[in-house]
Amino acid sequence: MSDPSSINGGSALAMVGKDCVAIACDLRLGSQSLGLANNFEKIFKINDKVMMGLTGLASDVTTLHELFRFKNNLYELREERKIEPSTFANLVSSTLYEKRFGPWFTGPLVAGLDKHNKPFICGFDSIGCIDYAKDFVVSGTASDQLYGMCEGLYQPNLEPEDLFETISQSLLNAVDRDTLSGWGAIVYIITKDKVIKKVLRTRQD
Amino acid sequence: MDVVLGIRLKDCTLIATSKSVTRGISVLKEDDDKTRILNEHNLIAFTGEAGDTVQFAEYIQANIQLYSMRENDIELSPKATASFVRNQLATSLRTRKPYQVNVLIGGFDTKTGKPTLNYIDYIGTQAILPYAAHGYAAFYCMSLLDKHYRPEMELNDGLKLLEMSIKELQTRMPMDFKGVIVKVIDKEGIRKIDV
Amino acid sequence: MSRRYDSRTTIFSPEGRLYQVEYAQEAISQAGTAIGILTTEGVVLACEKKITSKLLDNDGTAEKLYIINDSMIAAVAGMTSDASILVNNARVYGQQYLKTYNESVPCEMLIKKICDIKQGYTQHGGLRPFGVSFIYAGYDDRYEFQLFTSNPSGNYSGWKATSIGANNSAAQTLLKKDYKDDLTLKQGCELAIKILSKTMDSSNLNSEKVEFATLSKGKDGKIIRKIWSDKDIDLLIKETGVLDAKDDE
Repeated sequence: MSDPSSINGGSALAMVGKDCVAIACDLRLGSQSLGLANNFEKIFKINDKVMMGLTGLASDVTTLHELFRFKNNLYELREERKIEPSTFANLVSSTLYEKRFGPWFTGPLVAGLDKHNKPFICGFDSIGCIDYAKDFVVSGTASDQLYGMCEGLYQPNLEPEDLFETISQSLLNAVDRDTLSGWGAIVYIITKDKVIKKVLRTRQD
Repeated sequence: MDVVLGIRLKDCTLIATSKSVTRGISVLKEDDDKTRILNEHNLIAFTGEAGDTVQFAEYIQANIQLYSMRENDIELSPKATASFVRNQLATSLRTRKPYQVNVLIGGFDTKTGKPTLNYIDYIGTQAILPYAAHGYAAFYCMSLLDKHYRPEMELNDGLKLLEMSIKELQTRMPMDFKGVIVKVIDKEGIRKIDV
Repeated sequence: MSRRYDSRTTIFSPEGRLYQVEYAQEAISQAGTAIGILTTEGVVLACEKKITSKLLDNDGTAEKLYIINDSMIAAVAGMTSDASILVNNARVYGQQYLKTYNESVPCEMLIKKICDIKQGYTQHGGLRPFGVSFIYAGYDDRYEFQLFTSNPSGNYSGWKATSIGANNSAAQTLLKKDYKDDLTLKQGCELAIKILSKTMDSSNLNSEKVEFATLSKGKDGKIIRKIWSDKDIDLLIKETGVLDAKDDE
């Protein structure tokens, strides 16, 4: 009940396809059972080829988004190049571990394409342990349901269009079995030359 | 069991706060104003732990005014104001004694010419909403507002909607909150409305 | 006379001067020229590169132009090593402001912050002042495009067109003569090159000796910060025709 990671609710997941990755989240922001907003995005752009998802305590989602924007902007100014997804994952990890004994209550995800356009995804626990995966990563209050859906629907080497269908169905059907998630969804497909954003209309209950 | 309610309309934002101050079983005051003016186009309404609320609101007020004094009378936009307040609460949350204050910030952005309403709780959860309420009042009002709210509503329709919400609260809340003070934020600034 | 007042903490001389600060300013007037021009469509920054050697192994990035944030570029005259400390401070402050207010920092506020740091070193003791002047090109929604300079004393000022570094008074005179309020960005670029060609010692102007940057507004209203490539600079020099004009003389 008073678990900080499930006060506001919300879920996200990322999947690997053929030369592309997808990352998606729901749009609900709640206060326990009360729904507050249906436009709370939990996926943030880092650069043209890297995105991150942040679920958990909404306050920490906002704080960490601001913090990683801060760190990434300075990285780009000082290094004069875009950050690689694996580098960014390590930045996330060390940032989270800094708060080892008073953690941020979030479950971050990172998805992107590296400089050779090879897909990269990973997830984290709240203190920064990286969970590398070659298929999918999930996070949020519907994570149990998401694991089930992904195990059932995921296939390797999907083209962007098919990956979009798989990730959308996994998310939609998982959040329908979670009272704290849902209220709309957003899917991003990252390919080597563009990022496609799709807003999914879902049941509003 | 304070009532703090906000509705964003076509070209203004309405903020209503209950007039009662209670401690345990006693009503101590019945003309309390739970708002503070931050600058010409930003109003903060607050509820929460007694003592924390006014202390926090006036601390924010002082900082927003200090900004304008340093910056040649240029006022902070509603978005910047809300971000600043959220940051203060989020920082405070991880201190030994966090401020237990929930706020609504009603604003009018003079650059875009649009009214705004920001919901921020003591945890630092921030949401830009068309209508919002804190505490128990939210449970009674939200469904009503969900049904009757229209984004293109003028001030008069907004006041009717507000009246409807207050009436519902007076029926359903277990105690008398002594009515509300209503304030409007629009391009002219902030003013009180008699209801 | 000065010997007694410049070796320790910077203190006033009997004539009311701060020698250390003046020396710092003197050091800058030896450094490569930098010019800034405010136009109706944006801001132009142009710098002269002093050290050019065939043996210098440079990765091609600008050494006197720094991007501060999404809406500011700074040109440096003076000690590059000192500048990088201040630039880092500016960048961090820009990001701190963005984090607290979710809005881009107003130009003057950031400049004031940097100047407060500079001023500190003219007053409390033990350390020398920063040996750098800056020209800042910036944009914010309060005053749109802006041009500022700051010097080692910690003073800053806003300009329509200005210059710092070697021959800055000559450049300033030329700017005063040729500046018009209705310059387009293109005309601003040409004016900058023209003036640089006159104030620089070397005869043949080319991209090896010049760094160039512009700040302008894109069609979508976004601010474009562009540090020019060697190719673009050479093309501009050719178009401006400053080399041909010199041959005629």
